[in-house]
Amino acid sequence: MSFFSVSDLTAGYGGRTVVKEISFELEAGELLGILGANGSGKTTLLESICGNLPHEGRCLLDGTALEGLPPRQLARRCGYIPQRSGIGIDIPVLDVVLMGFNPWLGLLEYPGKAMKERARELLERVGLGGREQENYQTLSQGQKQLCVFARTLAADSNLLLLDEPESALDFAFRYQMLGLLRDWLKQGRRGAVVTLHDPVLALNTCDRLLLLQNGENAGILCPARDTPEEMEQALVRIYGPVTLTSCRDRRGREQLVLLFSQGETGTAGEKPLGGN
Amino acid sequence: MKPSMASGTARTKALITAGAVLLALLAAVSLTVGKYPLSLEALLSGDAMQLRVFRTLRLSRTAVGVAGGFALGVAGFVYQTVFRNPLASPDVIGVSSGASAGAAAGILFFGGAAAITASAFAGALLAVLTALGLSALDRGGRNGTIVLAGIAVHALAQTVLMCLKLTADPEKELASIEYWIMGSLNGISLHRLGGNLGLCLACAGALFLLHRQVILLSTREGEARMLGVPVGALRLVVLLTATLAVASVVSLTGLISFVGLLAPHSARLLTADNRPGTMLLSGLLGGALLCGADILARSVAAAELPVSIFTSLLGAPFLIWLILRERRGA
Repeated sequence: MSFFSVSDLTAGYGGRTVVKEISFELEAGELLGILGANGSGKTTLLESICGNLPHEGRCLLDGTALEGLPPRQLARRCGYIPQRSGIGIDIPVLDVVLMGFNPWLGLLEYPGKAMKERARELLERVGLGGREQENYQTLSQGQKQLCVFARTLAADSNLLLLDEPESALDFAFRYQMLGLLRDWLKQGRRGAVVTLHDPVLALNTCDRLLLLQNGENAGILCPARDTPEEMEQALVRIYGPVTLTSCRDRRGREQLVLLFSQGETGTAGEKPLGGN
Repeated sequence: MKPSMASGTARTKALITAGAVLLALLAAVSLTVGKYPLSLEALLSGDAMQLRVFRTLRLSRTAVGVAGGFALGVAGFVYQTVFRNPLASPDVIGVSSGASAGAAAGILFFGGAAAITASAFAGALLAVLTALGLSALDRGGRNGTIVLAGIAVHALAQTVLMCLKLTADPEKELASIEYWIMGSLNGISLHRLGGNLGLCLACAGALFLLHRQVILLSTREGEARMLGVPVGALRLVVLLTATLAVASVVSLTGLISFVGLLAPHSARLLTADNRPGTMLLSGLLGGALLCGADILARSVAAAELPVSIFTSLLGAPFLIWLILRERRGA
């Protein structure tokens, strides 16, 4: 049995189906990326997996169905990082991270010394060390994202769901964030599902990629196994006229590069701009 | 807003001390101010009349001012945080209009101060339970649904109030209803006070215990759920507790405007955070505002004036001053 599996997941808003019969599996230690144009259903899929949206189908994590788990039990197993956190009040960065311990605390219990120490370590790890007492609202969008990432790590769950965590991060931070995620995956029986805007980042950091087109599964890529030509064919369906090639960085590591062929007519079924 | 909140804790402690001293001073003044002059020597010497005035009039009045204002300030902090709306107040879920309709029914059908208080409390509770019950029909129990249900209940309670006013005798009953709605700390006897005051302080205490959950509820619903918060149930508990605190005060005093709105804003502007210290400061400022307003209500004119006039008169300039000070600092 795989570590995490999603079978025949169908979900939408107000009677309109946004994602249709999505199925995929994830092995422990794997990072699965979800790629798709705007409006293809990436966020809807993640929101459904974590139960924020009613859906048909089943999500099994280590044999336990996520559907119907009480929030506390769910949060112990599965962490979620939304595109933007809804924290709208003035609150110190440290207190934001401490929220992550909530599934392990009683209703009236407050985080103890050990938890505060752990929260400081996590902030250090995401590059926000020494900024514990700063107001979360004064952080840049990228730093807020890293802070929320630290909060999610605090919960010590096995499965992480991340919705475009790189969207507010600059070039180097994107790779740093995905690097942190990879480190986290190595530390136990864990897995992560991440929706990404940047296909190059996805191709070079994820173990497998689920392609979404108009809410349907348009193929699963495995960058380590599939040839660039095979992957290019699948990516053309999503992004239009693109060329996938590989090149070596200065350290000699092979990296995939995706180029958009400007001037050609796209064939992808993109919808007008607008998140979901 | 200061980027660093480290200095905030020491500052908050100083502000809480200042708030507590201010509240204690106002309480002391409130005990002595009134038509019948009281003196410490006469009280200590056991003057029967002085002791009677002190016990039956001043003590209850001051207790309601301090504890009621404190509870309104704390509840206001909770409403604004949970609804993520700086304008949120007990009116959002219909407590004030329910209390008014209940009080009007009490005045018309029962009479007597205790019955009016009980009826106002029942009205407030009925309104809030209806609003929360209606919102629970939406499975997610979202913030927006609670606000909409509250608006519907508020409108219904206003209609009931209007119908009751139409049937009231314009000379006596209608005047009593209007006067009740204006709010006053006058004429609340000690024996009528115990239950309400106990409930309001117990609810305020419970809200302090739930502070961490209140902050978690201030995030988006899906986000709070993924932090292990049973959002719907917890929000009902928190809002019901805050509302019970408010209902126990307004059913005694009538409507008191602005305290629940102003105290939390002032506290936040002063401390620039939302920690338990800020919630406590919000309560202290609420108590000080209500006490101060009540002192003015019974001393500026020959007749007793509605306390809400002074909570607004004192509170509005203070809030504007705080905002201007914040702008200059930014």
